[in-house]
Amino acid sequence: MSFEPFNRLVRLAARAFYDDITMKGENQPKTGRGDNRGIAVVVLDALTKRQWVREEDLAKSLRLHSKQLRRTLRFFEEEKLITRDHRKESAKGAKIYSAAAAAAIDGQVVKEGDEKIKMHTHSYCCLDYAQIFDVVRYRMHRMKKKLKDELDSRNTIQQYICPNCGRRYSAFDALQLISYTDEYFHCENCNGELVAESDKLAAEEMGDGDDNARKRRREKLKDMLQKLEEQLKPLAQQLARVKDLPVPEFGTLQAWEAKLSAVARANGDANGGDPTKSSQGQGYGGTPMPFLGETSVEVALSGVEVKEEDTETDTKTTPMKVLPPWMIKQGMNLTKEQRGEVKPVPKIDQSSEPVDDKKPKDIKEDDEKNIQDEYLKAYYEALVKRQKEQEEAARRIEQQQEENRTSTSDQFTASVSERRVGMKFKREENENDDVEWEEGPPPSVNTGETFYKLADLNVEADAVADDEDDIDWEEG
Amino acid sequence: MFFHIVLERNMQLHPRHFGPHLRDKLVSKLMKDVEGTCSGRHGFVVAITGVEEIGKGLIREGTGFVTFPVKYQCVVFRPFKGEILEAVVTMVNKMGFFAEAGPVQIFVSNHLIPDDMEFQSGDMPNYTTSDGSVKIQKDSEVRLKIIGTRVDATEIFCIGTIKDDFLGVINDPGAAS
Repeated sequence: MSFEPFNRLVRLAARAFYDDITMKGENQPKTGRGDNRGIAVVVLDALTKRQWVREEDLAKSLRLHSKQLRRTLRFFEEEKLITRDHRKESAKGAKIYSAAAAAAIDGQVVKEGDEKIKMHTHSYCCLDYAQIFDVVRYRMHRMKKKLKDELDSRNTIQQYICPNCGRRYSAFDALQLISYTDEYFHCENCNGELVAESDKLAAEEMGDGDDNARKRRREKLKDMLQKLEEQLKPLAQQLARVKDLPVPEFGTLQAWEAKLSAVARANGDANGGDPTKSSQGQGYGGTPMPFLGETSVEVALSGVEVKEEDTETDTKTTPMKVLPPWMIKQGMNLTKEQRGEVKPVPKIDQSSEPVDDKKPKDIKEDDEKNIQDEYLKAYYEALVKRQKEQEEAARRIEQQQEENRTSTSDQFTASVSERRVGMKFKREENENDDVEWEEGPPPSVNTGETFYKLADLNVEADAVADDEDDIDWEEG
Repeated sequence: MFFHIVLERNMQLHPRHFGPHLRDKLVSKLMKDVEGTCSGRHGFVVAITGVEEIGKGLIREGTGFVTFPVKYQCVVFRPFKGEILEAVVTMVNKMGFFAEAGPVQIFVSNHLIPDDMEFQSGDMPNYTTSDGSVKIQKDSEVRLKIIGTRVDATEIFCIGTIKDDFLGVINDPGAAS
């Protein structure tokens, strides 16, 4: 139930802040009988169980005098806890409301007013949860800020007060207040000497001025702050809990009524046209309250479910999760899918290549580097091998030549011819090699162009292999 | 904080200035009118650095005055809450002291002066530490932090504090003389 956390918030706030508020007209003398502390809490509690409610009805069910209730409600309106609506309506209009109320609350039989068409002003009220949340938060923030500011007496703007006429000034008025006769500030009204309004929270019983008092005051403030945190902890927790929940809203009185009647009609009552009849049977104990079907929460919930289903199907269709790039490290044995390269399209045009790859570029480059490194290693091995072969071949040729050579030939020319032959031989053998040299020089000399070419050749090959891998994975 | 901004103003010019030096007259009148004034929105206009554009004049009926819309560049000074300023003390009394940073008046009340400084009355009232090493009196230079500004339409007044690290007297005239 989405209302519950908010209702709890309201109840906590009521007990924390409105416990000892008396709703008293100024003209009434305070008597023991008239002491109505706690009324505020009762009223707020009652409101948490209702939605829009006519104030007379509320008074009746709380057995309060409607005047007293109205005073309380006006106070709460000023405190921004509730919204009220007043409207003039005939008995018929009242009936429409009664129907809605009956549907919403507990099926109480609302006495139908006299049938004379007589306009009465009726007041309605309901809790404004969104605003309550803000108000409570703000209130707590102000309390803490005030204490903290006074604690380090920093960034507080000094207030001055005139003891004669009680007029208050702030330090911003200082320029106008200085007198040239002495070194005090003087009141603009009565020319009385202003006194600095010291931190009145704690300074009552101790004279301020000497260091000792200041120290004691600090301690007291600290104590208060601690107590505040401690005692308001449940409230703060509830605030935190409620923070991310969607706030239940009733809308304006008209909107609420319209919605209720619409729901009642949609519920398929045979006589849905007449709201008084249609709503009779519904109440707390009976069928679930019709308006609750429309709370935004449930809608949101279903939305979430759908989303979850979506993601589920998504994950089902793709057998393997794409690892986020920060999880991929060198030396991890990953398939291309895992690395996030799902479809490596054979690329001829190098410039268009990085665009269709969704992976961050640096990771890709990293990959390429890996591949290139491997390639280079293999290449160097092959090169070494070939050189050895060449050496062997050259030696063999030399031997042959040695055998073939006439003894009379000059040593020098022989060596030259030998070299020539060797070179020619080498060139013939190295034809393929040379081409490869051009394609794959060491990375330090590389231009980006060849870099990519190399990498791509490799990627393609790898990808093919990996694709096969993947099929295996799926089958397994 | 200082800003270099472009402002606009409608200048009224008396017909007697109409002539070959109309533009010069307009600019000098603009400087006279605007420099040193304070608007709550932009702060104090310190100086006009250039005139961007003078629009077409419009003759007022009845008076013969001509109104020119003038766009001009100027340097403005606007204090902000939290800003650190250096200011000269202008007055010291029991309630605190007043200081000026250029055109801005700043009041530092006595509870925003460090606790170890005490007020000493006399013909040269001042705030002094118990060992007498630091003294705030008239004409002292102090570094202070603005903790509140009151911005009226034509006036800016600030409240400062020196009860923080690295704030306080930066140059003591009594020590120098």
